[in-house]
Amino acid sequence: MKDAINMTVRILPPKKDAVHMTVRILPPNLINQIAAGEVVERPASVVKELVENALDAGATHIDITMNEGGRSLIVVSDDGAGMDDRSLALAVERYATSKLPDDDLIDIGFFGFRGEALPSIGAVARLKITSRTREGSSAWYVMVAGGRRDGPVPAPHPRGTRVEVRDLFYATPARLKFLKAARTELNHAVDMLNRLAMAHPYVAFTLNADGRTRLSLDAEIGDLFDARLARLGAVVGKDFIPNAVPVDAGRDGFRLTGYAGVPTYNRRNALAQYMFVNGRPVRDRLLHGAVRGAYQDFLASNRHPYLALFLECPPQEVDVNVHPAKAEVRFRDAGKVRGLIVGALKHALSEAGHQASTTVSDAALGAMRPEGARLPQRASNSLFSAAQAGQAPLHSTGPGTGLAESQMNYDGAPTAAVIEGDDEASADFPLGVARAQVHETYIVAQSEDGLVIVDQHAAHERLVYERMKAMLADKGINRQLLLLPEVVELDEAAAQRLVDRAEELAELGLVLEAFGDGAVVVREVPALLGETDVQGLVKDLADEVSDFGEALALKDKLADVCGTMACHSSIRAGRRLGGPEMNALLREMEHTPHAGQCNHGRPTYVTIKMTDIEQLFGRR
Amino acid sequence: MKLIIERSALLKSLGHVQSVVERRTTIPILSNVRLDAAQGTLSLNATDMDLEIVESALADVGEAGKTTAPAHTLYDIVRKLPDGAQVELAFGGGSQLTLTSGRSRFQLACLPVDDFPALAPGDYPHSFSFAAADLRSLIDRTRFAISTEETRYYLNGIYLHAADSEGVNVLRTVATDGHRLARVELPLPDGAAGMPGIIVPRKAVTEVRKLIDEAEGEISISLSESKIQFAIGDTVLTSKLIDGTFPDYERVIPTGNDKVMETDCKTLSQAVDRVSAISSEKSRSIKLNMEKGTVTLSASSPEHGSAVEEIGASYDASQLEIGFNARYLLDIMQQIEGDAARFTMADAASPTVIRDVSDGSAVYVLMPMRV
Repeated sequence: MKDAINMTVRILPPKKDAVHMTVRILPPNLINQIAAGEVVERPASVVKELVENALDAGATHIDITMNEGGRSLIVVSDDGAGMDDRSLALAVERYATSKLPDDDLIDIGFFGFRGEALPSIGAVARLKITSRTREGSSAWYVMVAGGRRDGPVPAPHPRGTRVEVRDLFYATPARLKFLKAARTELNHAVDMLNRLAMAHPYVAFTLNADGRTRLSLDAEIGDLFDARLARLGAVVGKDFIPNAVPVDAGRDGFRLTGYAGVPTYNRRNALAQYMFVNGRPVRDRLLHGAVRGAYQDFLASNRHPYLALFLECPPQEVDVNVHPAKAEVRFRDAGKVRGLIVGALKHALSEAGHQASTTVSDAALGAMRPEGARLPQRASNSLFSAAQAGQAPLHSTGPGTGLAESQMNYDGAPTAAVIEGDDEASADFPLGVARAQVHETYIVAQSEDGLVIVDQHAAHERLVYERMKAMLADKGINRQLLLLPEVVELDEAAAQRLVDRAEELAELGLVLEAFGDGAVVVREVPALLGETDVQGLVKDLADEVSDFGEALALKDKLADVCGTMACHSSIRAGRRLGGPEMNALLREMEHTPHAGQCNHGRPTYVTIKMTDIEQLFGRR
Repeated sequence: MKLIIERSALLKSLGHVQSVVERRTTIPILSNVRLDAAQGTLSLNATDMDLEIVESALADVGEAGKTTAPAHTLYDIVRKLPDGAQVELAFGGGSQLTLTSGRSRFQLACLPVDDFPALAPGDYPHSFSFAAADLRSLIDRTRFAISTEETRYYLNGIYLHAADSEGVNVLRTVATDGHRLARVELPLPDGAAGMPGIIVPRKAVTEVRKLIDEAEGEISISLSESKIQFAIGDTVLTSKLIDGTFPDYERVIPTGNDKVMETDCKTLSQAVDRVSAISSEKSRSIKLNMEKGTVTLSASSPEHGSAVEEIGASYDASQLEIGFNARYLLDIMQQIEGDAARFTMADAASPTVIRDVSDGSAVYVLMPMRV
């Protein structure tokens, strides 16, 4: 029994008596161990299978326990529907499931359905399931160890199911050796649970690891969007909530909901991108490619947004039965799904065009320190406020006394140009009215409920960039014809993929056609790029089309050129601006989409709320 | 080593050799110039491993010897010495070269002369000579089209080869960057028949071009499959060649273009320059609309507005509108020395051939732009 899998490997070297070997059906236990190789890869996959079972059973509260990273013990108990003794006995048999009531593999409405999880776990670990239905007078348990079943036997247990997995992989030592440190395995399980928890905000989850609470998520209430946002905040981090914009779009039975982080709230890797298809967490290249495409204009290529997207679609439009762990999915019409995601995200982001990340202003506030030793006690505070009330306002040099004059006193010290008596109502403008320019770099504006600080160069650069893009879109991209058309050798599939997208590429200024098998010939290039490395560009494009289904490299390159030109033709830091100039910049920012961040995902302005300022001074 | 040399002689020679020395290099000795004094001459030598320059200058050599010294620093010092000064260079075998002139005295750090790399000597089976003015015209009228895109390294130079042009043996230079092409030819000099087609790298072209301006009379050229050597006065410049195959350029020079337009070159360039001022993009695009007797140039930009200028031209074919990159067009116009330029075209998507009406030695091909 031991090393059963290893034995099958050992028949590999040619044997003299090979002719005498006969074909036979493997014993069921061995079959289950082989299946377990696909389904049960590591403790996290056990947790996933068991939690999905609990969710399918309609649980509202799921408690998980893991000891030694799940190696010695995994317990998942729920308050779901439970099983009676007959179901319990069948549950541990292979290809036994309650989740395909009509024997229809197309219309799948549950998480599990392959009927592989429990017998697979039973084949590689000591499994004990205790369960009681709502109507059942008593609970039953069944045990499986090394593929042999004991029970069902009556046992005491409240309504719901408790699955206990001990000594995972004891029956397959080879796999046991490949387990990573307990900590790593636990982290994988936490990640898995996080994803499941996001998809099910109305279910409470707890995870107890080696006696310590690792995760505790209460069931959320309210409508789906509120509940989800609260749950996302609990899982991803509190910062996510103020920096997320809701996404809600639908097309032909597909519906995309969720939250997308604003571009200024970004990170170095793509780990905080959570995607769900019909409630099932997936990692799919198509979906990640669509996200990259949507954010491409706002983020440097090495920064990634936070987001959680939930795609609901008719079960017959998607094949979830591609991967045993169901991490990948396949869509009947991939182009439609990509279009929906890119469109919905772009729409959501342009609605939020003015929202610079709150983490930015929080960080700014955090950096501020009150002058002097400590904040005065509240009791003595009234004295200070009285004194402040009597203090002259900043721009009290009086009309007529020129600003330049008053600045002379500073004699080369950092300057602040103050705008005189401009009493426009700041309430009408989200970015307020310019009050001053500091260090000839930042515009300080007063808005209705606070203070806005604008980086003049970054803001103007973005405005010029947006204008340039609109111009390109409006006028089309000029194409330089090549005197020496360039032949690029690719593999056949890559060449075909590019040729299939020739029309889309032509719109971006790159005209290519097939050149025999496995090569394309480039005849025209965007004139904007000048003399460019066509070979490199086309190869990058081919890779991206296969990885993400999007031709990003070309757009990136064009955006790069626009970006550089925008940078050169926008006002620099260090340029002194007058009041009307500053106000004009602010007004244009309000009217330009995506003015809240520069081309690299950094903010162009930060807002500091009045309440925050008051807090800084200990008034609240 | 000990010698005295006139400042102006040293400055001239150093000026030539120091421009070969790269400003930044990972091999320290490549920043140095090799100085070799013997028998009344000082010979100076600099290299970047691909290009080598040797120049000799008359000097009063007291004691023969050789060393290497930082080229740019030495040049800078000599440049700042007063005109007519005498410069004394002394090297006693240590690690420093002493330069004395008037009351100035400099100590320069030296590197061992034995470490100085020398291009492997080789045979030059082909050699011929050229009038300086002819070589200048060959280079000037092609080098603007040399590609700067390094992935197509075989376009990063001028293709020099012997060819047969309608029964006449000629020496041709060709350069292209994939968007435009320039081809210039002159009668084949004696000794050049049977030479291989070679690609002379951009840096060598630039350096030779600088030297030609000071040269008079003949320049002799020797070459092999892998190297070319120019002897210009007291200077010998040796360069490795680009190891690649120049594309079959004849194929892209159209012969069947039937729409001919002739116009005054100066008028056209000035009009192109003016009209393209309106277009804001980097690729200043311009449209030429040709009708009987006139060419209408136009450009537009959503930001700045539009511009139109009409110039007289002789044109008899059917109406044609064709777009070009204005910079490319101006580059070519600049090369035309005669009064009139002749454009021969097929349509708005095929290569246009441009020639100097009074001089058949140069052909320029320009690919249109889709505007």
